[in-house]
Amino acid sequence: MHPFDPKSALLAKHAQHVVLIHFPIALFLTGVAFDLAARWSKTPRRNILAAAAHLNILVAAAFVVPTLATGIVAWQWQLDGQKLKGLLLLHLTLGVASGLLICLVAWIGFRRRPASGSALPSWYLPLELVTSALVGLTGHLGGFLSGVNLPS
Amino acid sequence: MRNKIWVLSLAASLVLAMTALPTLEKSLAAGPPTVDIKIDNFSFTPATLTVKAGTQITWTNADDIPHTVVSDDRSFKSKVLDTDEKFTFTATQPGTYSYFCSIHPKMTGKLIVQ
Repeated sequence: MHPFDPKSALLAKHAQHVVLIHFPIALFLTGVAFDLAARWSKTPRRNILAAAAHLNILVAAAFVVPTLATGIVAWQWQLDGQKLKGLLLLHLTLGVASGLLICLVAWIGFRRRPASGSALPSWYLPLELVTSALVGLTGHLGGFLSGVNLPS
Repeated sequence: MRNKIWVLSLAASLVLAMTALPTLEKSLAAGPPTVDIKIDNFSFTPATLTVKAGTQITWTNADDIPHTVVSDDRSFKSKVLDTDEKFTFTATQPGTYSYFCSIHPKMTGKLIVQ
């Protein structure tokens, strides 16, 4: 399989999930990093960083939908929707929880973040950090399951 | 004289049957020939296997990761196999069966049934 062959990437039944999953992970973690940087910056840089964080997290939440959908499609097509157990069930559970938390963080940010970057509740950053930890754990498990450390 | 030949023939048949019985019993108890394929480190070992028709093939997942065994033509398909779980398929039809793991499609193997 050629890594730049679009046919292999687009038509393989389970490949889309493995490709798409990197977008919400990267965007969300970058968003959290911007929020952390904004917390210790002074205006006007603070507002710029907070706006960048907000945008990253919103796009991450948008990517959650196709990522979850393709994961469920992979489960239905590749495994015939059979009852999951063990690592696969854990990956599904953590994946859904991570996706919901990303959407929750994005929604709170969307509702509470007006033009100024200071209107967010005090627990917003801890929630972002907890979500990041869960995303990291789910990603680690996904990488382990997908065999990224496959012998070449 | 005729009776004597008949008795001797019967005795000889009985002796033959008694010697053949343990062998027959042994072959019946053994069942069909069996072959094992190990799934470990994201690969099937042996990757290519040639067996006679009627052979029972058992895949055992010795990996820490779940795997499946699915033939390209779907003539056999396992459930998700966790560590130490097994899947058995009896190859009755001669032919070449390419198979893969549906969770890790890069993992492939070939079963040749003669």
